[in-house]
Amino acid sequence: MDAALNGLMALADPHLMVLIFAATLGGVLVGALPGLNATTGVALLLPFTITMDPVPAIAILTTIYCAATFAGAITAILINTPGTSASATTCLDGYPLAQRGEAGRALGMAAVSSTIGGIISVVCLMAAAPLMARAAYNFAPPEYFALTVFGLSMLATIGDGSPVKNILSGAFGVLLATVGIDLLTSIERFTFGMNELSEGIPFVPVMIGVFGISELLVQADNLHEERKQVIMKKIKLPSREDYKRVWKTILRSSGIGTFIGILPAEGATVASMIGYNEAKRWSKKPEEFGNGSLEGIAGSEAANNSATGGAMVPTLALGIPGSPTAAVILAGLMVHGLRPGPTMFTEQADFAFAIFWSMMFVNILFFFIGLWGAKIFARVTLIPIQILWPIVFIFSIVGAYALEQSMMDVWIAIGAGIVGFFMRRHGFSVVPMAIGLILGGMLETRLGQSMVMLDEKWWLMATRPLSLFFFVLTILALFGPMVWGRIFKQRSPLKSTGE
Amino acid sequence: MHSEEHSSSPPARRHISNVAVPLGIVAFCVWAFWLSTQFDRVPPILKRGMQPSDFPQLVIGLIIMLAVWLMFRDKSDAPTRLSKMAQMTMGLLIGFLLIAEVDLFLGLSLFSASLAALWGERRVWAIMLVGLISPIAVFFLFDGIFEVRFPRGLLTNFWYG
Repeated sequence: MDAALNGLMALADPHLMVLIFAATLGGVLVGALPGLNATTGVALLLPFTITMDPVPAIAILTTIYCAATFAGAITAILINTPGTSASATTCLDGYPLAQRGEAGRALGMAAVSSTIGGIISVVCLMAAAPLMARAAYNFAPPEYFALTVFGLSMLATIGDGSPVKNILSGAFGVLLATVGIDLLTSIERFTFGMNELSEGIPFVPVMIGVFGISELLVQADNLHEERKQVIMKKIKLPSREDYKRVWKTILRSSGIGTFIGILPAEGATVASMIGYNEAKRWSKKPEEFGNGSLEGIAGSEAANNSATGGAMVPTLALGIPGSPTAAVILAGLMVHGLRPGPTMFTEQADFAFAIFWSMMFVNILFFFIGLWGAKIFARVTLIPIQILWPIVFIFSIVGAYALEQSMMDVWIAIGAGIVGFFMRRHGFSVVPMAIGLILGGMLETRLGQSMVMLDEKWWLMATRPLSLFFFVLTILALFGPMVWGRIFKQRSPLKSTGE
Repeated sequence: MHSEEHSSSPPARRHISNVAVPLGIVAFCVWAFWLSTQFDRVPPILKRGMQPSDFPQLVIGLIIMLAVWLMFRDKSDAPTRLSKMAQMTMGLLIGFLLIAEVDLFLGLSLFSASLAALWGERRVWAIMLVGLISPIAVFFLFDGIFEVRFPRGLLTNFWYG
């Protein structure tokens, strides 16, 4: 309780409030700009926080995360281009409404459901993260190793790519994490005699490369995409009738989003898809979905925003990122010398609660900024990419350099960008690679410690109930979707009719 | 479920990239594995847990297994041909890296202006904005506020003296 109050008091600092306000504007801008999303925005902004204290630094990153996730809806509704992948389902109903001259109503519904979803998830975060941390307090290395393996296995279902390619990409990230001096034996690995690599491949330049520079190359392929904005007269908040129709959808999607967010690696995109589908399944007017249903917008937006709070639960309590953006925030925590995990709630509880309160504050703030500024932010989306991306590149490179003030990091960022671009071209998501890089060190250290603890009999890990539980979850995460898919296919009536 | 699981649907045409990419990954892994055999080893009497090469070799083994699986099962579409614009943008990136060795901000300035021009920007003010004003603003932002010391070079020497 004291920690919660102290955390709230930390937010009373006017300097911090101004920073959060500016970051909310920045986050909404990032979410609205084509090609940029919450993950890229957080990766690009991370170097700006180097000289700050941990509370404002991490508060800025989480603010960008929440605000950018919401802002994806603005472009989804007004130009039929989701600002972030999490808003892809918002396009389905938002744009048809905008075409009918009801863009304001659609944006109003998106803002309300995002705010409610976000607030519910932060309340869950405040309750669940300390509980999860307490449960994890007695984890020994084998349990942590099994948990990290489970977290990595969840990468299989990230995005719409092939699970095998996702796992391969994650394993590549883990391999990259082995570069540098081995912490257990102090022996150099894959450094090629370069001192700069002895501490390993730095996270931040890789994040900037795979999320920022690879996107620049992707944009080079999409130069001729036309974006037309729908005219919006004014924002109109949902009516009482509208609320009556959607309140159940908002609550359901908030629950779904928070739960999906808590699962390691799964983020707002998956949450919004499931939230949208469930909204359609439970709706009395499912035929309206895809033609401008307010329930569709509410289902998608409440889910994707509630996933932000959910994703921070395992990130802070266990050190396992709950989403791609949370992975970058995790890297930010490490850069600032903080160790996410159970001890965060005993040794740095004030810090943790300050972050929770800042997320709560942002969720309220972007409601007003999003509503009043939607018209302006929608115009920002029309900035020509010929101007936008060179500026993004400048920030990417200077950001990559700034952390260690090393030109090697610039080379790493460009290299990661080019590798990331080719990976994306061949259907390999770069998100698992980034998460693998972050978790790789922890995975190896825990395995090494487990081997010492179990006298090099690694198979004894399976005799520990919690480790076994996580290994079973891993098997389910890897093979469950395949088995379910086959069962579903066999039972599908479409199959028997040959449709 | 996904591309490589569509065993019951009509067999999709496999592309050369479905084999070439996994082969490239395997070749990379063989090289990485060889490198890992060159690591120093901890004497058995001092060893606790694992040798430094054990974990990387475990991961490399997993990658090889998955790549071999892809080689035989992946039926995803081959990517479209790399556009000229993407190729030229990549060329600019390499050019940037070379010029950045002379001066980071000279490289940033030339790259940004060239990229804007390459992507079709013809307005002089816009090219000046991205090629001149933005790098200068970013330089002073990081140098002044974030106290980042940039590497000395042809242009930065004017400021650092």
